[in-house]
Amino acid sequence: MASSQKRITKELAEVTSDPPVGIKVSLVDESNVHNWNVILDGPPDSPYAVCLLSHTSSSLANSKLIQGGKFKLLLVLPTEYPFKPPVINFKTRVYHPNITFDDKGSMCIGILKAEAWKPSSKILSVLTATQQLLSEPVPDDALESAIAEKFKSDRKDFNAEAKKYTKQYATGK
Amino acid sequence: MFQPQPTPYSPFSSYGAVPEFHIFQQSQSGRSGLAVDSGGPTIVQNPIFTTAANGNPSSNIAPALNFSNNTSTSTSTSRFEMAENNFDDLERQEELARSFQPNLQGSLVGEKRSSHAITEAYAKADPVYVAKTAALPQKYSHYRPVLGDGNCGWRATGFAYFETLLRLQDKAQLEEEIARMTSLNNLIARVGGFDAWMFEDMVEETVSLLRDMADSIETSPQTAEEILMQRFNESDISNNIVYHLRLLASSFLKSSPSSYQDFIPDNLGVEAYSKEWIEPPNQEIDHLGMTLLIDVLLKPIGFAVEIVYLDRSEGSQVNSHLMQPEDENGVPTNPSGPIIHLLYRPSHYDILYKDMDSSMPLQQALHDATLNPNIQVNRATSFSQQHAIQSTSMNDFTNLDLTSLLNIPGFQCAPPSHHGFPAQFHSPIEQPYAPSPISTSISPVSPGASSNGTSSNTNLSLSTNFSLQQSSALTSPAVNISHSSHAPFPPQNMQIPIHPGVPQQQISPHPGPPSIPTHPSISSQHSDLPSPTSANSPFRPSKWEWGARVTEQEGPVVFQTSTFKNSHYNTAHYNNPNFQPEEWSPECEEASNGHAGGGGGRKRST
Repeated sequence: MASSQKRITKELAEVTSDPPVGIKVSLVDESNVHNWNVILDGPPDSPYAVCLLSHTSSSLANSKLIQGGKFKLLLVLPTEYPFKPPVINFKTRVYHPNITFDDKGSMCIGILKAEAWKPSSKILSVLTATQQLLSEPVPDDALESAIAEKFKSDRKDFNAEAKKYTKQYATGK
Repeated sequence: MFQPQPTPYSPFSSYGAVPEFHIFQQSQSGRSGLAVDSGGPTIVQNPIFTTAANGNPSSNIAPALNFSNNTSTSTSTSRFEMAENNFDDLERQEELARSFQPNLQGSLVGEKRSSHAITEAYAKADPVYVAKTAALPQKYSHYRPVLGDGNCGWRATGFAYFETLLRLQDKAQLEEEIARMTSLNNLIARVGGFDAWMFEDMVEETVSLLRDMADSIETSPQTAEEILMQRFNESDISNNIVYHLRLLASSFLKSSPSSYQDFIPDNLGVEAYSKEWIEPPNQEIDHLGMTLLIDVLLKPIGFAVEIVYLDRSEGSQVNSHLMQPEDENGVPTNPSGPIIHLLYRPSHYDILYKDMDSSMPLQQALHDATLNPNIQVNRATSFSQQHAIQSTSMNDFTNLDLTSLLNIPGFQCAPPSHHGFPAQFHSPIEQPYAPSPISTSISPVSPGASSNGTSSNTNLSLSTNFSLQQSSALTSPAVNISHSSHAPFPPQNMQIPIHPGVPQQQISPHPGPPSIPTHPSISSQHSDLPSPTSANSPFRPSKWEWGARVTEQEGPVVFQTSTFKNSHYNTAHYNNPNFQPEEWSPECEEASNGHAGGGGGRKRST
């Protein structure tokens, strides 16, 4: 087995045996460790979580009724992994400054930039960083400048839009 | 006549794109694919910066070495055709720049080859490079190209480490290295702070290569060598080994920050330096990285490293720097230990070899020659062969396709190596060919030559031409320009080496020795005569073409013939160690074309 596969297998075992909160990983094809399906829950404190009941009465109930949007991601590990970074695309549309609002769902995140990537970075840290990005958009490093503008100028409207699209696309239906 | 080209990145400016350019060079571009000019650069099939065996040179240039675009006088007809198609120069460059992608398809670590290829590749570069590369093959017979993918320095050093272990043929030492590499895991984990899960696979590749080499080193060194080449060219394995080296260097830096922190650029500090310069997988090695790698990998086992810097710094010789294991007083602890030679060109490392004992097997040489028919083999044949020359009749040559001579390496590139030309360059070749009629006949045109240099025989034997030139140079006291009393700039009454009027067939079949044109004064003395050679002949004029008059002109040699101007014996030639550029302006050239004997000892200027 090539070393890159060895390494990926190790990381896959780690992620599946002890999955971090809100991240589910499975292989697209069991025979190929290079392509991962990832389901990312929208962080509860972000507009990427949706309130399933429109009327929430108590704050106690709140935590159970609010559910993260389910965002599907495709994570592809190049054959040169870990010497080249993984590539992540959102399969679910996301209204987010750093994720292209299209079919591709390309994401801009520091850890995955080729010049910043280090073999000591793990896939797990990439996934948690992605989760983090949903909570904290980086409008200055935006892929969707209109969304970034809105994020900066009118946070309320941004949150509403993000929620709307989360409901529309990411409720797991 | 060569002009130092001020703009390095203008591959075609000296060719078809500039119509008013020197007529000689026009004739160059006219013969697409054939590099001419007896003293000039020769054919380089593969630009040395890439290891792609059959790559298209124009797309093969490593990023940091773009100027090579200019230097490789490739035979690739496509390039010349493009030039002839009057591609706008700038447009073309822009297009090249836009579509530029480093072609990294060659092997990660290439086969060993003659370092003359480096000379050839730089033959039209900046004069500093030209002088330095011309002198290079005298010291370092071979080099091994390493792919410029951002890991070349690491990979070159790593490969050389393994290769040197192989050369020592010491199984016990290989075993020791296995133990040492394994024990260094502690350093990586504890001091370096890297997780074992991350590096253990990498170390495994290093150790398993050492193990496999140890297993076969005694029974079959050849196999061990093949294993090494194969592993280093398999990117997965190779990158793992290289990254292991990076981790070693990073950990070693962290283990003794005080020794190195003063050398860390930009006051980054140890951690940040490691993150920014060592850990990113395609980050080129910098000087500190190289020092660290040598200190952790090579010095402990007594290996020294000599880095040969081929850059634009002053001087006609490459600078080199030896890093060897020393005690605290700076005394080398293992002065007779193995030395690894690395060739550094800005942002790139290759491996150099001093195979003075001609350890490159004949088979290998022949193989190279077949693979790359344009390889240049400069034979320093014994001077006694001049007798053979004298008996050669020029008749034999008159009905040959003489244009094929343009492909003869010896015609084009004669590195100024006539002093102390190392014997190993010819020995592998000379042996098999000496008895053959081709090489003994000294004929500059062997029958095979008409095949345009596709046969290795042709090229090998034809390069005797160079040696002839050489021997004559040695017999002529004035040839050594550096000691000549003449001004560094030859009198500027130069004739273009075009002598229209007389067809080739009229070249008199003189029974005398086919002359090496040691008669630079010819054109000044006889410039009013019709020149005997045909207009587009690339040949230097032979004194026999001038008849008996010339024989009387045995006076002091001044460098006036185009042949000499174009040879490296001329200080104005970029291959000359004492290179002094000549200024050139097209108007002057044209203006004085018709005037014979003009100019004094200085370059012409209006």
